[in-house]
Amino acid sequence: MNKTLRSLFNAQQSGLILVILLLGTILTIFAGSHVDRLTGHTVNNFLNSHTLMQTATDASFFAIMAIGATLVIISGGVDLSVGSTYALAGVTMAMVLRDSTWSSPATVATGLTLSLGIGLACGLINGAMVVGLRVHPFIITLGTMWVFRGIAFVSSKAESILVPTALTDVVKAQFGGSSALYPVPMLVMLAMTALGAMYLTKMVPGRHIYAVGGNVEASRYSGLRIGRILIGVYALSGLAAGIAAFVGTSYYGSASCADATGYELYVIASAVVGGASLSGGKCSAISAMLGAILIVLIRQSIRTLHFDTNYESIIIGCAIIIAVVLDQLSARLTTQRLTNAK
Amino acid sequence: MKLRTVLLVVAALLSGGATQQQTIKIAMIAKSSTNPVFLAARTGAEAAAKELSQKLGVNIIIDWRTPPTEDGQVQAQRIAQAVNEGADAILISCSDAGKVTGAINDAVARGVAVMTFDSDAPQSKRFAYYGVDDVEVGQQVMHELATQLGFKGKVAILAGNQNAPNLRKRAEGVKKEAAKYQPSTPDLAAKNPGIQIVGTFYHAETPQDGAAEVLRVMNAYPDINGWAMVGAWPLFTKTLLTDLDPNKVKVVAVDALPAELPYVQKGIAPVLLAQPTYKWGYVSVEKIVDKLHFKKDVPAINKMELVRVTKENLGAWARQLKDWGFTDVPDEYLKLP
Repeated sequence: MNKTLRSLFNAQQSGLILVILLLGTILTIFAGSHVDRLTGHTVNNFLNSHTLMQTATDASFFAIMAIGATLVIISGGVDLSVGSTYALAGVTMAMVLRDSTWSSPATVATGLTLSLGIGLACGLINGAMVVGLRVHPFIITLGTMWVFRGIAFVSSKAESILVPTALTDVVKAQFGGSSALYPVPMLVMLAMTALGAMYLTKMVPGRHIYAVGGNVEASRYSGLRIGRILIGVYALSGLAAGIAAFVGTSYYGSASCADATGYELYVIASAVVGGASLSGGKCSAISAMLGAILIVLIRQSIRTLHFDTNYESIIIGCAIIIAVVLDQLSARLTTQRLTNAK
Repeated sequence: MKLRTVLLVVAALLSGGATQQQTIKIAMIAKSSTNPVFLAARTGAEAAAKELSQKLGVNIIIDWRTPPTEDGQVQAQRIAQAVNEGADAILISCSDAGKVTGAINDAVARGVAVMTFDSDAPQSKRFAYYGVDDVEVGQQVMHELATQLGFKGKVAILAGNQNAPNLRKRAEGVKKEAAKYQPSTPDLAAKNPGIQIVGTFYHAETPQDGAAEVLRVMNAYPDINGWAMVGAWPLFTKTLLTDLDPNKVKVVAVDALPAELPYVQKGIAPVLLAQPTYKWGYVSVEKIVDKLHFKKDVPAINKMELVRVTKENLGAWARQLKDWGFTDVPDEYLKLP
């Protein structure tokens, strides 16, 4: 039992979980309460099923993309095009399905295939260009960020396109829960996190990503096929953006070329707050998800505690810097403690 | 004696707490908190809330939840947050009607009244909309511009955010009206080419982006005679005061805020079609109170009329803006007759 607890609290994520719990407690205490219009019960403004589910839902779109982007960051790269990939995948899906008269299962299957397919294709293009052209991924994905969004703009003629209700019905399924509680985005986020964690820790290709990010030359001399690994991580990042696009577009019921504008920064911030090192070799899927939840929780707290929302970007920016500085401080202290122990 | 006084005060306070005043909490979600027209709407909403609170003995609170930049998805999230935190009503200008319709319907299902202003979500279950008829606004802009140009010339349309349904409708209105001033046969066109639209140009809805787009287009099409601006973003900067020649180019734009008044004075924008944006907030709060407090039936569409601002009524308009709480109205315009 002690060993389990120790391993839990020694884990990279324990600090993030503590911060999330602490923030949640503060919000619960200071949020105030209101009388629910339908039930007549007094409910806490933060600690209620709707707010918690909403927070998880808001985090899920970032978190799903952040899990994919984390693979890229672990490999030592960066993917700035995830927001644009999201927009292109969502717009393509909505345009194809706009006038469809297919049955609901066929509509959902086609939507999913299109969204994931476009995401995967965008990721493969990024990966192939990073490896083939030997240009820094920052430059390549900066370029494709504009290209993908531009294609979405031209093809959609800048319209906001409604998606069939079959898609919204799936992503807003309630499973018999109370009104306006939609757990599907959160469940997809948890499933993606579990898959990402398993891939990175239990599977050989996942461990190869850490190896490449930790020391690319050593990996090359060890016989790893660096190009293939890098194309793979960008493809997975694109695929994750495609999944997020399917969930997000279906949840909100429409797609436009302006969707997810600026989200790439939130996605990278989620990974960084989760402990990712931009020089590669560090971070995990669970940490990226927790990072996304923490960022959304900070945004939520600004509103729940009635702070001036104009300060949102200042607060989030400071929180990211503090999180990274604390993480580095903790890493330094751990190294020092290990050195002293020797 | 002292103890008795204290007990009386405590009892009075407690009884005050027991008979709580009715509260109407209105979450206001405009498109962008950096756009001055929405700040005027907020001022109007807060003024109406204050006046009606005093008049009716009801505590009306405006809970400003506008995102810093336009994002329909963030607006949908903020609707849900407002409902979760006990808002009685939501007042929203939709950045992307498709994105917020689901959230509006969820809010209504949970007993929250939703009203739209400026930019509607007509497919949603909102109980009312207050704003202009956007196609008519576009037509009015083109009609004024065509009149200024003598019904001939090359015109560009500045259309802001391509995803905002209201702006798209205004641009449609501009084109619809321009079609009236185009000759029906090649022979007539040879004599008088009428009004020709060179293109519709979109940009991020910030003053700098708007001004930069105008200058880029002017460089690409130096023969442009007029700009039909369905929003007046570039006129919030001073750039075009020097970069546009009023003898060559005329601008007609929607909105007439303090920063834009020099354009009227200098003749670059001989006509501005002002939306009394203060009223977006003021009238909408009145409508919400009518529905929630007085249980009145509010019409689904409440049309707002534009105010035509020219050199002739510049002083009166400037004073109106000051009365609505604008602090940056230049004194020189306030002194005009």
